[in-house]
Amino acid sequence: MKKIVIALVGQPNVGKSHLANAISGSNLKIGNFAGVTVEKATARLSTEDFSIEFIDLPGLYSLEDFSADEKVTKDFLLKGEYDLILNVIDSTNLERNLMLTTELMELQKKMVIALNMDDEAIKEGINIDSDAMSKILSLPCIRVSSKLKTNIELLVEKILDVTKNPLVEPKLIYSDEVEEQLQTIVRFLDDKHFRAPNGLTNRHIAVGLLWQKKDVYALMHEQPLYVELHPILNNALGHVYMYSQCDDIEEVINRQHTAFSAGLSAEVVSVSKSKNRNLTQKIDTILIHKLFGLPIFIFLMWGLFQLTFTLGEIPMGWIEDSFGWLGETIGMSITNEALKSLIVDGIIAGVGSVIMFLPNIMILFLGIALLETTGYMSRAAFLLDGFFHKFGLHGKSFVPLVTGFGCSVPAYMAARTLKNKKDRLLTMFIIGFMSCGARLPVYVLFAGAFFEESMAGNVLFGIYIVGALLGLIAAKILRVTAFKGEDEPFVMEMPKYRLPSLRLLWFVVYSKSIMYIKKAGTFILLASMLIWFISAYPKNSVIEAEYTTKIETLQAQLEEASSTQKDEAADEEKAIDEAKPTEEVAANSDVKEPASIENAITALENEKREKLVENTYLGIMGKAIEPAFAPLGFDWKMGVATLSGLAAKEVIVSTLGVLYSLGDKVSEDDNSLREIIASNMSIASAMAFIVFVMVYLPCLAATAVFAKEAESARYTVYLVIFTFATAWILAFITYNVILLFS
Amino acid sequence: MVDLSQINKNQKVLIKQIHAQHTLKKRLYSLGLGVGKEIEVVETSLQKNTIKVALGFSSVALRFDEAKMIEVEAFA
Repeated sequence: MKKIVIALVGQPNVGKSHLANAISGSNLKIGNFAGVTVEKATARLSTEDFSIEFIDLPGLYSLEDFSADEKVTKDFLLKGEYDLILNVIDSTNLERNLMLTTELMELQKKMVIALNMDDEAIKEGINIDSDAMSKILSLPCIRVSSKLKTNIELLVEKILDVTKNPLVEPKLIYSDEVEEQLQTIVRFLDDKHFRAPNGLTNRHIAVGLLWQKKDVYALMHEQPLYVELHPILNNALGHVYMYSQCDDIEEVINRQHTAFSAGLSAEVVSVSKSKNRNLTQKIDTILIHKLFGLPIFIFLMWGLFQLTFTLGEIPMGWIEDSFGWLGETIGMSITNEALKSLIVDGIIAGVGSVIMFLPNIMILFLGIALLETTGYMSRAAFLLDGFFHKFGLHGKSFVPLVTGFGCSVPAYMAARTLKNKKDRLLTMFIIGFMSCGARLPVYVLFAGAFFEESMAGNVLFGIYIVGALLGLIAAKILRVTAFKGEDEPFVMEMPKYRLPSLRLLWFVVYSKSIMYIKKAGTFILLASMLIWFISAYPKNSVIEAEYTTKIETLQAQLEEASSTQKDEAADEEKAIDEAKPTEEVAANSDVKEPASIENAITALENEKREKLVENTYLGIMGKAIEPAFAPLGFDWKMGVATLSGLAAKEVIVSTLGVLYSLGDKVSEDDNSLREIIASNMSIASAMAFIVFVMVYLPCLAATAVFAKEAESARYTVYLVIFTFATAWILAFITYNVILLFS
Repeated sequence: MVDLSQINKNQKVLIKQIHAQHTLKKRLYSLGLGVGKEIEVVETSLQKNTIKVALGFSSVALRFDEAKMIEVEAFA
């Protein structure tokens, strides 16, 4: 079976992915393309003796590396390994799409043109004579509709046909003046019987020389005939400049391409009458209306949020329960304590806490996919650019920022929509300020501990708003310091509104979910094992044994007290003797009720846990970093909680629970933890803690995604320093200001 | 010189010249904003930050900063 690699190239919003999806049916798989953010979609067609692989390249308007995304496409087209270019064109906007086509034709690669969205074009009264177009260009041009799946087989047939046969040079005709100069160069090369070593035709070389393509120059410069060629070329260029009345070659090229596109388009397109061409404009008069545009946008965002969190809540409960059940079931069947702890407390609990957010992630991605595919995204950017620009952000930054309220992991991925690297990094730096869902448990715990129940909700909302505002301020500061420089120009196509295909939506959500599970899952797995390990080891057998004896004694007592109730006095003495080292027990043992002995046992167990944790690596680390957190009013336990929160923010709550000796099973609405925290912490240090949690580094999984997306270890280090420094300073200010007023 | 930022809503104009640096100019070209093209201002945002123009079969959003670089001529 022969493998054919097809590069899918086209301007944005022409339905490339949709077409690939239509061609391959359900066989389409998306994997990550090594190193770059290009997605490789593979499809196998069983009907032929070929396996076809599609490389779904990011859309681009021209072969100019305007953005990182487009550079990827350009580099792939110039250097990548592929057999054929499938140029996808939006039939309803032929002339502009042809601008890219002309550039692709100069690449001298096998090419097939898919005139996509034919159904839409027919509705709008646009008719393209594809036969005439094929003849003019010497390239197969096929009218297809990925929506209705018309002519898909024909397209595949043509693709196979072109692959099997040798390259037919496409016909791209320039203006007479340019053609004349090209002829002169070609004639010279022909006269000299010049044959390019890499099979390029002399015409192609002439075009490359005239358009001043570096690679062609490099090639020709090595040839002995270059000495003679040089004056001819100089003369030709002079003529071209003179005819065009312009001495910028790029502009000359552009004018040539524009003229060709306009000419071809006029030749092959016939427009009968416009039926619903203005539908988009009509919708836009409402959606980007001066006054109503923003409120509508805010309402839509609010709706997405509501959906994400209310609808996502339902399966979250199920997932949590099933992981709990899984943990218990597996836990029961493992006898080795350490192994059981690793699997149940480490792996299952850790991975479960990530999978739990999958429903939210799916809804959020569905929302984002809807925004993207319907065309509303660019409208939102249009509406918000003015406001965001004041803070040094780009209109398109809003998508990743909004996503950040759900989870930073998809938010960093969503930042890909930003073209300019600086804007993208700036946005990624402040995504952390948008409090993610995982921080909610911490906020709920603290708001409940320090504020009246009626106020707690407002406090929560306030925390989110303050976080977002801090983010905007941080953006401004970063913009004038670290990410100085020219603003990215805001020039953006406003695509037509389109109803997205359900299959494509499902496909996007599905593949994103799989990626989320894979990426965060593998990482979280390791991180949770690590946290489990450092909070469980080294085992201190002395402390363990000491407390176990104490507890056992008390248990024995308890049994005696409840069953026989004899020899109470002796028991009491014994209890006092045994429990001397710990005050609580000594105090409790004065009371002879079994209930109080039970309390004493619980207290002892908690104390044991605390002592044990204090002697684990995590505890040692906590003690070591205590001085760093002391100015913020944190004790070592709070310090450790912030550290363990790096694994996942929810871990903060359970760490605090363990450290403040409550037992393992702690959730955010545990009233006793609230009370303990309220009595153990001053309001000043608690508020400083909230501020710290609000700002400091998102979890390690998110940081790993950041590193991957930023493609730079340096910026990842900056992110860590920046978030910790900001969090520390803001927490310090909060702590001292509150101390001052109380 | 009249530039695009001075044009009122719903007015049609012709592009005379683009005074932008190389990359931006190329981008504007490839979005269809070429010299000699007929465009129409469709919408401006509240504080005159962004502007939406319609050309042929598509529409493009610009900031006013970029619109200032596009020299236009009112349609006769």
